[in-house]
Amino acid sequence: MAMYGYAGKILRLDLTNREVLVLNTEKYRGWGGGHGLGSALFWEFCRDKTIIDGRNPANVCVVATSPLCGTSVPSATGRCEVVAVGVGYDGISWFTRSGIGGRFSTMLKYAGWDAVVIEGRSEKPVWVDIRNDKVVIRDAAGLWGKDAWTAQQEIWSIIGSSAGTHNAWQDLADLKGADKQERKDEGRSTQKPAVMVIGPAGENQCHGALIHDAGNGAGQGGFGSVWGSKNLKAISVIGTGSIKVADPKALIQARQALKQKYITSYEKPDFRQWSRIGGLARPITQAPIPTDERRPQSCQGCVNGCRSRSNLGYGNESACQETSWYNEFIQKVAKNAKEFGELSLRVADLCQKYGINSFVLQTGLPWLEHLHEEGVLGPGKKIHSTLPWEKLGTLEFAEKLIHALSTKTDIGRDLAEGWVPAARKWGREKDLHTGAMQFSYWGCPEHGYDPRAELEWGYGSIMGDRDTNLHCFNFMFTTVSAAFAYSLPIRIEAEDLVRIQARKMAPYAKDRPEVFDFSDANMYSEAVAQLVRWQQHYCRFWKNSALYCDLKWPDLFNTNAPNREGATGSSDAGEQVFWNAVTGDAMTLEDGIALGRRIWNLDNAIWVLQGRHRDRVHFAPYVYETKYEKNELFPFYMWPCRDEKGKWAYTDLMGRSLDKKKFDEWKTLFYRLEGWNTKTGWPTRKTLEQLNLVFAAEALKAAGRLGEEEKA
Amino acid sequence: MNTRLSPPTEELAIRILAAVPYKDRIPAGRLTPRLGITRGSVRGLPELHLYLAPDTRTLPGMNLERLADWIEQVIRDPELAGAVRAAARTAGSHVDGCMQVYELVGLRLDQAREATGRHEANAPIREES
Repeated sequence: MAMYGYAGKILRLDLTNREVLVLNTEKYRGWGGGHGLGSALFWEFCRDKTIIDGRNPANVCVVATSPLCGTSVPSATGRCEVVAVGVGYDGISWFTRSGIGGRFSTMLKYAGWDAVVIEGRSEKPVWVDIRNDKVVIRDAAGLWGKDAWTAQQEIWSIIGSSAGTHNAWQDLADLKGADKQERKDEGRSTQKPAVMVIGPAGENQCHGALIHDAGNGAGQGGFGSVWGSKNLKAISVIGTGSIKVADPKALIQARQALKQKYITSYEKPDFRQWSRIGGLARPITQAPIPTDERRPQSCQGCVNGCRSRSNLGYGNESACQETSWYNEFIQKVAKNAKEFGELSLRVADLCQKYGINSFVLQTGLPWLEHLHEEGVLGPGKKIHSTLPWEKLGTLEFAEKLIHALSTKTDIGRDLAEGWVPAARKWGREKDLHTGAMQFSYWGCPEHGYDPRAELEWGYGSIMGDRDTNLHCFNFMFTTVSAAFAYSLPIRIEAEDLVRIQARKMAPYAKDRPEVFDFSDANMYSEAVAQLVRWQQHYCRFWKNSALYCDLKWPDLFNTNAPNREGATGSSDAGEQVFWNAVTGDAMTLEDGIALGRRIWNLDNAIWVLQGRHRDRVHFAPYVYETKYEKNELFPFYMWPCRDEKGKWAYTDLMGRSLDKKKFDEWKTLFYRLEGWNTKTGWPTRKTLEQLNLVFAAEALKAAGRLGEEEKA
Repeated sequence: MNTRLSPPTEELAIRILAAVPYKDRIPAGRLTPRLGITRGSVRGLPELHLYLAPDTRTLPGMNLERLADWIEQVIRDPELAGAVRAAARTAGSHVDGCMQVYELVGLRLDQAREATGRHEANAPIREES
């Protein structure tokens, strides 16, 4: 099989024995890359797939690239996928995933590696030094205990050229500590190594610890704790190779087509466009950056520039969540917008240095404030804490909170094992019923797309392994709601919008616009189950394995294109066009979705071995017992729905709860469509055989967890 | 907008510049593309002014009718409440309404600072809760 796009080798790190092993990628070629590759490697090398805590030494963590990494495919070349059993969920920490952008995947490919498999546990702290095909497991005593930025800088100083990287080509063989024997590579580079690193939160194995590469982080899953449990501080990689592309001309043509047809004109930009791939480069920093002296910054090879660098000296490359979670509290103390922005960005820097995922604090901190205001959390209270709550909103409070969460001190001692487990320990289970604590699924915080309104988000999360964080469709909600908020003209009417999208949604939802109907009458339907399936299967391959960026793909509708159809699946600039140009394959969009289904089923087999059963698959109680507050947090949650007469209109989805019994019935529909036993949610042999997953069927049978066949 | 508000008494001005207890806060969500609707709350008019500040990244999600009630009942400023209510009812859009209220609250804060002699911009004064 042709190996265009692949580096060709996979690196196996046995930390227990400090051994470095090499695998040939070709054996795993059929999984594509990224998540598929990671799941397959996890399956092969994790000897105990029943573990439920990622800190177990049997856990295997895989960092995987895709064939597109290191090429010039738009919004796909700089991403990386991390998989392993996670840390800090409620009950069972599932085998899970997280994506990370930046430079690491590209540099790993240029060094000759498609993935890194991390096994075992080192006796002492180590870091891994990869320079092309030279791989050394080094002692990390001098790095352990240092924050993520300091550790990265020290690694750069260790590997840096004596002549400096700014004014001389760097010859890897001349670096300090380099093997002076005959070289296989003649590589030179002006680049610094890409360094994935953990901070104190990871070293202390705390909930929410993440893995960093500069402003990027593999946030969900708690993989920083997984690395910490393995005594792995960092992986540094510098490579000087390149990636062979099967058809460079086709790749350039597809880029040109994308630019000309789907991306807004820079000369006459449409600022109110409705599209995902087609926007102007714009940082998604959620705080007012207090300077105009700044420029966009992006993952390697990407044209989007969703992060920002400025002349401020702080907040560089922080974006999205970490620049948002504390803003509600900053506004209580900031004197003006400038101070607001500075505080927000400095707090983001703290998260980066400690290596902690601030996502949990978006809903978690209001809950802690609630406990404090109720008088149960504070000095000498039932939940003892010496955090300075009177300074909530200040940098000082944020630093003390993040320090506590990252070092298992103060309330961080209990929260390190997960926030929902801590709530139970503190006797606050009632908060999961009232909604005071909004952790909707698997002990994960609600994202901002409430499962009572936005069904594909909620259902997708609970049928999966974490907060799904897949923005395939919810661009409809934000775009349409913003148009309503500004009283702007509707660019695409509801009926047209769902029809345009459904045209692209083979095989489950092709020309079935009713899959988007989230009205009360349709919210537990087979159609909605098909939508959830399409999103999960599409993403398991195209987004998590091929590593197309969630910010930009899929592009289902696009007001830049003459017919308003987006780039997804198109014959000139669809996902498969770029894939085929790089790899030489002849894949269709549907082929990718079919492979995504196979990967999703392998994941599900792991979840079942870990203890997944349909009885476990339920939201937090508040999702059933309370309503999504109508007109309280936002005036409306607009989504295309049909009325009783079948007429489509943008409709407000607020003001409702989920019906537990009806949701349970919906699960039966979903399991049936997936070919899983409806009583258990376990996959059947027939389904696994159809997906060429006989080995998974055998493992499930041996564990007594193979789903019984059911009559159609 | 051409709204006239009579200058507040010193007693009202102190309330206008103060933060209210947690139990009296008003819910205030925010729509941020990619993050979705995030929960929040507001505990005073200086904070409200920052919350409503124009920002191309996000949209404030407060119910302006409920805000008018809150200003009337919790801050106890019926004149501002009336102006907010009127703005909410006549605004061309939700965002336009938020902008008008932002300006009204800014005007009221300036008046309150003038009345109390506290000229520090938007510095919230906290009451014991």
